[in-house]
Amino acid sequence: MADEITPRRDPIKSSVGNVAAQRRRQHAITVAKERREAVVRTKRLCRVGVGGGGDDQLTYDDDGDGGDMMIDAEQSILEAQTCSAVQDLQLAMLFQGKGAMQKRVAALREVRRLLSRSEFPPIEAAIKAGAIPLLVQCLSFGSPEEQLLEAAWCMTNIAAGKPEETKELLPALPLLIAHLGEKSSLPVAEQCSWAVGNVAGEGEELRNILLSQGALPSLARMMLRNKGSTVRTAAWALSNLIKGPDPKAATELIRVDGVLEAILQHLKKADEELATEVAWVVVYLSALSHVATSMLVKSDLLQILVERLGMSNSLQLLIPVLRSIGNLVAGDAHVASTVLVIGQSITDSILPALIKCLESEHRVMKKVCLLLLQHEFGLVLTRNASMQEAAWVLSNIAAGSVEHKKLVYSSEAVPLLLRLLVTAPFDIRKEVAYVVGNLCVAPSEGSGRPKLIADHLVFLVSKGCLPGFIDLVRSADIEAAKLGLQFIELVLRGMPNGSGPKLVEKADGIDAMERFQFHENEELRCMATKLVDKYFGVDYGVDDE
Amino acid sequence: MAMEVTQVLLNAQSVDSTVRKHAEESLRQFQEQNLSVFLLSLSGELAGEDKPVDSRKLAGLILKNALDAKEQHRKYELVQRWLALDMGVKTQIKACLLQTLSSPVHDAHSTASQVIAKVAAIELPQKQWPELIGSLLSNIHQVPAHVKQATLETLGYLCEEVSPDVVDQDQVNKILTAVVQGMNANEVNNDVRLAATRALYNALGFSHANFSNDMERDYIMRVVCEATLCPDVKIRQAAFECLVSIASTYYEKLAPYIQEIFNITAKAVREDEEPVALQAIELWSSICDEEIDILEEYGGDFTADSDVPCYYFIKQALPALVPMLLETLLKQEEDQDLDEGAWNLAMAGGTCLGLVARTVGDDIVPLVMPFIEENITKPDWRQREAATYAFGSILEGPSPDKLTSIVNVALNFMLTALTNDPNSHVKDTTAWTLGRIFEFLHGSTVETPIITPANCQQIVTVLLQSMNDAPNVAEKACGALYFLVQGYEDIGSTSPITPFFQEIVKSLLHVTDREDAGESRLRTAAYETLNEVVRCSTDETASMVLQLVPIIMTKLHQTLEAEKLSSDGREKQNELQGLLCGCLQVITQKLGASEPAKYAFMQFADQIMNLFLRVFACRSATVHEEAMLAIGAVAHATGPDFAKYMPELYKYLEMGLQNFEEYQVCAVTVGVVGDICRALDDKVLPYCDGIMTQLLKDLSSNQLHRSVKPPIFSCFGDIALAIGENFEKYLMYAMPMLQSAAELSAHTSGADDEMIEYTNLLRNGILEAYSGIFQGFKNSPKTQLLIPYAPHILQFLDSIYMEKDMDDVVMKTAIGVLGDLADTLGSNAGSLIQQSLSCKDFLNECLSSDDHLIKESAEWAKMAITRAISV
Repeated sequence: MADEITPRRDPIKSSVGNVAAQRRRQHAITVAKERREAVVRTKRLCRVGVGGGGDDQLTYDDDGDGGDMMIDAEQSILEAQTCSAVQDLQLAMLFQGKGAMQKRVAALREVRRLLSRSEFPPIEAAIKAGAIPLLVQCLSFGSPEEQLLEAAWCMTNIAAGKPEETKELLPALPLLIAHLGEKSSLPVAEQCSWAVGNVAGEGEELRNILLSQGALPSLARMMLRNKGSTVRTAAWALSNLIKGPDPKAATELIRVDGVLEAILQHLKKADEELATEVAWVVVYLSALSHVATSMLVKSDLLQILVERLGMSNSLQLLIPVLRSIGNLVAGDAHVASTVLVIGQSITDSILPALIKCLESEHRVMKKVCLLLLQHEFGLVLTRNASMQEAAWVLSNIAAGSVEHKKLVYSSEAVPLLLRLLVTAPFDIRKEVAYVVGNLCVAPSEGSGRPKLIADHLVFLVSKGCLPGFIDLVRSADIEAAKLGLQFIELVLRGMPNGSGPKLVEKADGIDAMERFQFHENEELRCMATKLVDKYFGVDYGVDDE
Repeated sequence: MAMEVTQVLLNAQSVDSTVRKHAEESLRQFQEQNLSVFLLSLSGELAGEDKPVDSRKLAGLILKNALDAKEQHRKYELVQRWLALDMGVKTQIKACLLQTLSSPVHDAHSTASQVIAKVAAIELPQKQWPELIGSLLSNIHQVPAHVKQATLETLGYLCEEVSPDVVDQDQVNKILTAVVQGMNANEVNNDVRLAATRALYNALGFSHANFSNDMERDYIMRVVCEATLCPDVKIRQAAFECLVSIASTYYEKLAPYIQEIFNITAKAVREDEEPVALQAIELWSSICDEEIDILEEYGGDFTADSDVPCYYFIKQALPALVPMLLETLLKQEEDQDLDEGAWNLAMAGGTCLGLVARTVGDDIVPLVMPFIEENITKPDWRQREAATYAFGSILEGPSPDKLTSIVNVALNFMLTALTNDPNSHVKDTTAWTLGRIFEFLHGSTVETPIITPANCQQIVTVLLQSMNDAPNVAEKACGALYFLVQGYEDIGSTSPITPFFQEIVKSLLHVTDREDAGESRLRTAAYETLNEVVRCSTDETASMVLQLVPIIMTKLHQTLEAEKLSSDGREKQNELQGLLCGCLQVITQKLGASEPAKYAFMQFADQIMNLFLRVFACRSATVHEEAMLAIGAVAHATGPDFAKYMPELYKYLEMGLQNFEEYQVCAVTVGVVGDICRALDDKVLPYCDGIMTQLLKDLSSNQLHRSVKPPIFSCFGDIALAIGENFEKYLMYAMPMLQSAAELSAHTSGADDEMIEYTNLLRNGILEAYSGIFQGFKNSPKTQLLIPYAPHILQFLDSIYMEKDMDDVVMKTAIGVLGDLADTLGSNAGSLIQQSLSCKDFLNECLSSDDHLIKESAEWAKMAITRAISV
């Protein structure tokens, strides 16, 4: 035993080879660890904001934090900390000695950390303390990557602030855009595109400035990269940038070499987050630019979108996909007449996909889905109030052929629609009513009243849809009331053997219509009065007694 | 029932290999056919006084090997096998063993004592063989000295093999009494006294209760100190070894004895034979170790609670200790620099002086400076070398304020000495001292720079010149250059090294080609220095780094073309391949970090990968660790295009993951799988079945070194991040593994520091896996699949929070997992999180952490949770 123990320590004077190899390996492990953390961090950050409301306010800047742990006192401490962090940064920028770079990065990191804190990041305090010129300086060419990253990150968070705060970034925009180029490392380009995206999200004025400074081609080229997170962020920034209302940017984007191919390719990828952002780009392209729409419909985009609609369950993804489909259908007559032809596989597969979406618990999705149903399968009852989106201006109703309606009528959608007509919240009910109402009419020839599809009407009324419409008549929403009245007219006119008026009376329809006698809206007042006069005039009920 | 095995055992040691192999084969068959009889026969052989000593010894050795193995898995099997043996057989074997202790034949009783300790190590924890210690102790009073000696040796081995908690305090007391009595000066037989002293060394770990008792401790210390004065040198050495062990195990009990300890050691260092003097120095080094640890724990904050207070023994002993150590520095051996394994008084003294400097800081400087000033210019090389060595030794510890002015003066002197001193020993130490100066007093954290534009060129020139000196001097010059360039690693975009870059690289490459580069590890030092030069270089020299690629590739290519080599030649070739792969790894990492350089580097990627695959192929049995590391760097630089190398690389990845024996290779390969996942993203999917299978096998194996397990878990996370919801099919395998590992690592009660450290590594790996899986599944329709695992994960977070012993890294990862869980599962997790016992406290604690990384993760987690709860 004792013979073996004699401990020998390592001599202080040892060979450098031993330590060095060890350190080198340790370094490799540390680097791998940092990269793993970077991947996780990106994944985490990308979620920020997207999860929230699910409507089209796609902003990374709103962290959706309703946290209650932060109190005012903490806020003022935070502001004080921010102020001193900016001062530290200033000192670090002046410092030229050993480790200057580290000092700068450490100071930047502290500013960034503070700007990433809480739901009320101390942006104003940072700006007041003079952060912007310092940050711009940090973005200068040839700066180390870490410094660029931190500075761009700070700007990303500042850009997420109030409009006047975002505008403070104006002097930084040329540099941010310059770092989007191929010469930058991917993480830097990605972070800068994020910042640019936030700036673009602020409004038309800033969007136009970014466009005039050439942000679009650089971001567009980032779409051609094959790193998921880069493309995702670029796509998100682009959708903010082309939001319009001027369609020029959207047209410019689709004309960039390779962008259309990249869109199609990314949309096919398994990565749903990526597909989501790309789909939003398609939403804006198709909503704004005729050039883009006509290029998009000529590709197999619609096929890809319909496939995704059928396969995915991700709400985030389905909404832009639905909207894109809607825009394409609305925007180009070619689609409805030649692509969505009855009997073609794409037409067959789109309906089940839409039904699946209708079954979703999500209100926005239901609504988008109903809008799409209305549009694709023909909206006849007039609808003139402006809808949420320009894309839905429904001037062209050619799509609604009788065959399309028959397809919907014979699908599983009907029971679902009838159920929704009773149980769903008002806004959804209204959209359901449009679809159901439309199923009963065919496009009119000339300017006359729409033609009835009698068997559809009889069936739907027998399933109890009438009270739903009468409910709408009672609503304060003029558009909904009008729709209700239109449907009542159909029932009164179209039900066989003159059974219409009885049905309407039974469902308290007369009472509902009489309310319009003194209604301020003239059109409704006239419609209601005419109907009551025509079907429930003096002669009404005489036969029965 | 026992069989006659004498002849077979003798044959097994025959010089005739045919006879030997035949005998070995018979023994193996015998063991397989009837283990009980086999072991019984061996114990009979060992006990047989009429048997030849050689057969007895071998019988004992085979018995010992039947009870224990180095490798954990095998060891477990052997323990189970012994426990399953027939009780009667075991009783007979143990009786033979105890009987052998009384044998006058030294080899027989000495072997028996080791076997007894092995049996005890198995049986005592099972509460079997309770009479063992009693019967050993009764032997102590036997008249024949050899029985006493054998018994004390057995007690020593027993204390070494058996864990202290399976022996009653009562029995510990009796063992210690017997041992200390045997050490006593009254013991006339030196063999007995030596055996007792060595036994005490092992018994010290059992003696916590006794060391807490003043009287018993005084007695033990008195006996040990006495033994350091024994006329027998072996006993003196063994006694000092006991003192060294006491100094580290019972540091807090040393105060009453420290004066005497100093006296004894000072005398031994100055007068005693070298093995004893070395132990005397070691004792002070051990006290330094303890105080450095304690002071580090204080962390400069002296009000902090530490389990053990610092008694500042070193500081108090300083005025006497330093002169004693300085004297040893003059006792160099002529050629110690040429012998890598050398260890002598001067080396031990300098090493101890370095530790003293780290312990006391500034206080050492005035005590050493006069010695340096007096000796550094003396004609005797020993004095010049000792002075330089003393200077080099104290450069870590004292503050830069204290050292800078001295170093500024010394630097010029050192540079001149390195060029002009006639003695290569002095030059060797001078170059090393320069390296220490650059290591500790140069770099971005140092306020007043030692190296200025005025002297930089001179320094580089002198170092490059010295690379043509003798191999040992050149090796140290490389080391100095290594630390010189390291000091510029964060310099920014312009480095003072840039003007000399080309010349430095040329010189280093020239060194690697020296005929004698195999001596003094010169070639290794040159390559590692080259690596550091590359790693710390700036973009200004990127094009020159790029030019290195084909040069290193050619060298690697040449090693692959070498004709048939001797085994020695193969080993050297292997080492060289490792160095070249390491160099390519560093270059790849460097060039891959900047976009324009990466683009230029990519033209070589195919060729480099081709070379690495050939390196693997020419080592049929195993995968080269360095090549694997380099491949990780290439994967990162290449990104998704790395997919084209996968078909060929895959089998080597698999081989690496299967390499249990060289676990570092396995660990490196696991890391590279992570790199590849990040590079390929979902393109890694086709290889995941194979990789996951292998990783799961690794985890279930008890052969694999435990240090590889945490990275394997992290690797699960990497894979999940890359392939997202496709990880689904592995969930049913990976999750239970994670879950059971989580349960194991949730509690650490009673574990020592090392175990707690490992546990935290394990926790971190598990948590990284969870994070990766959650983030991978995020926004996929399959998140539902993860819901069933959430309660357990939250419970795991709860329990590690409650345990209060996680380190900062675990804390950061853990709070991140909480956020990931909320983020991915959303409202499904909301109520679970609200029900969690401690998650709110945990979150608040992290939110108020000083560590900004923890804070950042916590803020993110808070946001994710708020959202999950509000939906």
